[in-house]
Amino acid sequence: MVLKIFFPQCCNAADSGLLIGRWLPGHNSAVVLAVIHFPFIPGQVKQYLNQLQSLTQVDLTVLGSWCKPSEDQERVQSFLKDLSTIFPHERWLQLSSEKGKKRFSCLVNSRGSKVFESGDKEDKGDQVICIHYDQCKVMLSQLHPAQGGILNPQTELSELRLVFQTVSQSQALFYIDKYDEGPFKLTHWQSEGREGSILVELSKQASVPVCLVLAWLLSIWYWVCKSRILNLWPMRFVSSKLSSCIQLSHRAEHLQTISVPRKAEDHTEFMRKANIFVSFLVDVALGLLLVSWLYRENRIGQLAETLVPVADHIAEELQELLKWLMGAPAGLKMNRALDQVLGRFFLYHIHLWISYIHLLSPFIGMILWYVGLSACLGLTFALSVLSDIVALLTFHIYCFYVYGARLYCLKIYGLSSLWRLFRGKKWNVLRQRVDSCSYDLDQLFIGTLLFTILLFLLPTTALYYLVFTLLRLLVVLFQGLLHLCVDFINSFPLFAMGLRICRSYRLAAGVKFRVLEQESERPLHLLMEINPLTYSAVLQWYRTLTYSCYPKDSWGALCKKLFIGELIYPWKHKNIKTD
Amino acid sequence: MGAEREPGPPPAVPWKKVLYEQQPFPDNYVDRRFLEELRKNMYVRHYRYWSVVYESGLVAQQLSCVCIFVLLWGHMDQGLLSPHWLIAAGLVGSLVGYALYDLVDWGRGRARCGRSRWADLKSTAIFLAFTYGFSPVLKTLTEAVSTDTVYAMASLMLLAHLLFFEYGAPPDVVSSGFSLNVAIFASVCLASRLPGPLHAFATVTCAIQVFALWPTLLRRLKASAPCGYVAGVALVCMAGVAGTLSVSAVGGVLLALLLLSVSLLCPLLLTRLQLYKDNIHGPWDEAEIKEDLSRFLQ
Repeated sequence: MVLKIFFPQCCNAADSGLLIGRWLPGHNSAVVLAVIHFPFIPGQVKQYLNQLQSLTQVDLTVLGSWCKPSEDQERVQSFLKDLSTIFPHERWLQLSSEKGKKRFSCLVNSRGSKVFESGDKEDKGDQVICIHYDQCKVMLSQLHPAQGGILNPQTELSELRLVFQTVSQSQALFYIDKYDEGPFKLTHWQSEGREGSILVELSKQASVPVCLVLAWLLSIWYWVCKSRILNLWPMRFVSSKLSSCIQLSHRAEHLQTISVPRKAEDHTEFMRKANIFVSFLVDVALGLLLVSWLYRENRIGQLAETLVPVADHIAEELQELLKWLMGAPAGLKMNRALDQVLGRFFLYHIHLWISYIHLLSPFIGMILWYVGLSACLGLTFALSVLSDIVALLTFHIYCFYVYGARLYCLKIYGLSSLWRLFRGKKWNVLRQRVDSCSYDLDQLFIGTLLFTILLFLLPTTALYYLVFTLLRLLVVLFQGLLHLCVDFINSFPLFAMGLRICRSYRLAAGVKFRVLEQESERPLHLLMEINPLTYSAVLQWYRTLTYSCYPKDSWGALCKKLFIGELIYPWKHKNIKTD
Repeated sequence: MGAEREPGPPPAVPWKKVLYEQQPFPDNYVDRRFLEELRKNMYVRHYRYWSVVYESGLVAQQLSCVCIFVLLWGHMDQGLLSPHWLIAAGLVGSLVGYALYDLVDWGRGRARCGRSRWADLKSTAIFLAFTYGFSPVLKTLTEAVSTDTVYAMASLMLLAHLLFFEYGAPPDVVSSGFSLNVAIFASVCLASRLPGPLHAFATVTCAIQVFALWPTLLRRLKASAPCGYVAGVALVCMAGVAGTLSVSAVGGVLLALLLLSVSLLCPLLLTRLQLYKDNIHGPWDEAEIKEDLSRFLQ
C-alpha cells in the first residue's frame, strides 16, 4: 500500500506543531491543511476543530505532528510522540525536516503496531509519497470532469477530486490571519491582504439594489410584452420573424438571469452569470462605440443617401437578369411562351418595388437616424436590426424566390404523381407503397396530356427557380453571417476566457506531477501542478446556450428541400422551436 | 444427375428416398428407380395453325395502325391533308364505331359492365374540351426542342406502345395503360411539330381514336363477332399497306412483307417448331404447390 500525503507548500517553513487535515475516506491518503504551532492547549485544539467541522462540513482531524529542525530536536520529537496519545487516531504521521536536507522525512505510526520508517521497502512494502501542492491555487481552482461529464457534487468522487473538494471547502480555516489574536497560531496559505478589495465590497453592497431595480424594470417589460395588443396574431408572427425582436427577448432573458439578487449557488451558476454580465457589458460598450462613430460627421445621413441608389442598382441588375432569362439563357431550350409570361410577371414586380423604394426615399434618412440609436442597446442589437433591414430591402428577391419555389414545387409534385399514372401505377397511402391500378380511359388521357405538358415546361420553371434560389441563398448567407456574429457575442464565454488567460489555475482540467526529490530510504517528494483547461474545453463548458446551439437542418436535408422546392428560411421552424 | 452407384455388392438394406433415416448409402446415392419417374413434354400445348393466325392478326393490325397514324400525321405536316377533313372523318368513324360497338352484341356487354351513355358522353366532352383547350399550348410545347429529338422520342414511344400493347398475354407482363399513355405522349410530341393549333387537336383526337377506341371495338368484335374481327383486321392491314404504298413503294412492300410474316409465317414456324420441343420433368424438379392456399391468406 502506498500512503499519499498532500502537503501544502507554504507549510514547509512552519514552526513545529500539529498537522491538521483530513484522511480521505476510502483512499489511503491524507490531506494536510494547516499546522498548529506550539504552544497550545489540546482541549482548545479539539474544540476549535469541532467548530471548524460544523462550519465547513469537512471532518478535520489532527493527522500527526510536524517537527522543524532546531537545536533541541530530540527533545521536541519525543514530546511530539507523546502528544499522539492525547489525540484519538488510527495512524499518526510524524513529519520532520532535518538539517542539511531540503525535504522532510516521514514516519507513520499505526495504532497498536510498531513504528516503521518510510521508504523501508522490506517492511511491508508500505511506501509514503509526499505530494506538495499550492494551497491557494488548489483552493480556488475548479476541477472539470474529463469528458462530457457534468459538475455534479452527488456523483462518486475520485481521490484527486476529494483533495480539491477538501481544500476548497475548508476556506474558513484560511481566513484566520497570521496576525490575528487567538488561542493558538496556525500556518497555512495567507491572503495578501484586503486593502484592494474595498471596491469589491462596495460593488457587492451596491449589487443588491441594482439587481432589484433591474428586476423591477424587467417585470415592467414583461408586462408590456404580455399586453393584448402585442399578442395579436400579426404582431406575434412578425415579432417571431424579426431577428431584432428575438435578440431583445434574449437580452431580457439574460438580464433576468443576472438580476436574481442572491448569491450564485454553485460554480456553474456563478460562471454563467459572470459570462452573461461581461458579454453584456462588452456588447453595450461596442454598441456605444458604434453609435459614437455613426453620429459623428453625419455618417448616418451619408448612409441613407447611398442606400436608395444601392437598392435601385440592385433592382436594375435584377431587371437585366430577367431580360437575360427571357432570351435564350446559356443556350438552354426554354419554352418561349412560358418564359415570356414569367419574365413579364417578375419585371412588373420589380417595377412595383422600385416605385415603393422611391416613395420611401424621403423618409429613409430619418428612419435610419432613429433606428441607429438602438445600437445603444448593444452591438448585437444593431447587427440584428441590420439583418432585418437587409431582409426588408431584399423583399422582392424573397417574393421571386417564393413564386419560383411554389411553381417548381407544384411541377415536381405533379410530375411525380403523374409519372406513376403514366406507368399505370398509383401510390397506396394505406400500405405506403406503389401499387398497380387500372385507370379509366379519360383519366389516362388527361393525366398523360398534363404529364407531357409539365415535362416540357419543367426546364423553364426550373431555371427561374434556380436563379432566384441562388439570389435568395446569397441573402440568406449574408443574414446567416450576421446571425452568427450576434450569436457569437451572445454565447461567447468572455469571463471564462479571461479567467483562463489571467488565472489559468482557476479552471483545471487535471493535474501533473513533477519529481522534487527521489532518494532511497526517504519518501518520494512530488510537486502537484494544475493543468489548465484547454481553450476549446472552456468554450464547450461555459458557452451560453442560445438558439443556434440547437440542431438545425443538416446539409443533406437542406439540399433535399432545395431540390423538391420547399421554402428555406434563415429562422428556425416551429417544430424545432418546441423541442 | 450425380447418381454414383457403388461397384461392390448391393447392401442388404433397401434404399429409401428419405432424409430422416440413417442409411448405409452416400448422400447423393440414387438407385435404379430414379429415371422411372422421368416425364417428357408434360405442359406442351398443341396449337392449330389457323387459330394462331387468327390471334396474330391483332399484332399485324396494331402495326399497321401505327403506320396509319404516322401517315396521317405526315400528310398533315406536309399540308396534303386538312385537319378539318381528318376531324370530320374521325367523327364519322367514331360514330359508326360507337353504333357498331353496341349493335354487335345487342347491348349485352354494356349491360354487363353497367356503363351508361351519359358517362360516355361525359368522357367524350372531357376529351374534346381538354384537347381543344390545350391545343395552343401543345403547339408551342416543343418549339425549342430540335425536330430530330422530337422524332426520335416519338418513334421510341410508338415502339414502346407496340411492345406493351395488350395482345392477349397475361396482364402482369403488359400494361395497357402504359401502352396507351406512351402512344398519347408520342402523339403530343408529333402534334407540337404541326403548323397550327387545329392540326394539333386533329392529331391528338386521331391518336385517341386509333390507339384507344379502335382496339376496344376490335376486342368487342373478337369476342362477339369473329367475322367482323377478321374483316376489321384485314381492312386495317390493307389500309396501312395501301397508305404506305402511296408514299413510298419500298416502304409499302416492306410493310406488307412484315405483316405477312407476322400473321402467316410466324404462326407456321411456331406450330412447326413445336414438334422439336423436348422438356423433361422428374423428381429433380422444384416442388410445386398445387393446393389452393388462398384460404390461409386472410
